[in-house]
Amino acid sequence: MSESDGRDPGLLVLISLAGGPKHGHAILLDVAGFTGLRLGPGTLYGALARLEESGLIEALPADGRRRPYRLTEVGATALRGRLSGLEAAVRVGLRRIEVA
Amino acid sequence: MRRHLRLYPPAWRARYEAEVADLLDDVPASPRGVLDLVHGAIREWARAASRPAVARFQPVGGPPMLEHPLQRHPTTLAILALLLVGPTFVFIVASLLAYEIGVPGLAATIEPIVAAVTGPRWVDPFLLAAPFVAFLIAVSPLVSIGFARGDGELRVTIGFRARALNVVVLALCIALGGLLAGYLLVEFMFEAPLG
Repeated sequence: MSESDGRDPGLLVLISLAGGPKHGHAILLDVAGFTGLRLGPGTLYGALARLEESGLIEALPADGRRRPYRLTEVGATALRGRLSGLEAAVRVGLRRIEVA
Repeated sequence: MRRHLRLYPPAWRARYEAEVADLLDDVPASPRGVLDLVHGAIREWARAASRPAVARFQPVGGPPMLEHPLQRHPTTLAILALLLVGPTFVFIVASLLAYEIGVPGLAATIEPIVAAVTGPRWVDPFLLAAPFVAFLIAVSPLVSIGFARGDGELRVTIGFRARALNVVVLALCIALGGLLAGYLLVEFMFEAPLG
């Protein structure tokens, strides 16, 4: 999945975790619910590893074999900035397409 | 699909393998899932390779120690050094047994072999240089150097870690190098023709 088509797995994971801490499978189901997109396990954990390394999310103590993740303060700020940028782009795009 | 997790780098596996294995129990196996895992493994290896040198040995109060690629393969390098120094080891032990200790019949047995093996010109320099080169190969994954600039001065920290096989190979190289150096010293200083 390309990161430039608005379906960046990292962004989708951040959006999912903005709704509260979740483990891997719960994130997959949540993302599938609001995008219709089924992330692969390699894609999901690639994104989780990258986000955790950047400090945008953090792992919580394991619940059995499952480990939940949550958004950090830095992650919430980054997500807000990213979504605001997308929102502006979407608004402009929709307006232009209506004019055309 | 679980076996595909073995394709991932060790550090990634140590951190995420159990979680992903658990996830795979809930996700139906599919060719797309396998491809996704393989693609993920390639991506993680690329990320691991492109990660900057980081501190692995962190001395208290000192600058961070640079991890160079050789440090990731201490055992491989120890074995390589051992293979390199092997012929010199065999040559010296056989010579000691035959000529210094005087094992009966050994000198007669090894002389034609030695004559045949040491025929090419490069063999003697190779046998002499092998312990020194092998020493460098075996020691390279054990040493780390850290640099830090502070208060107008450059601080250099040298770290050394011990790996059993590498240390054994180093000891062997030092022993063989010492024997060779001693032999050459005696040969050229005391037995060289005067005048």
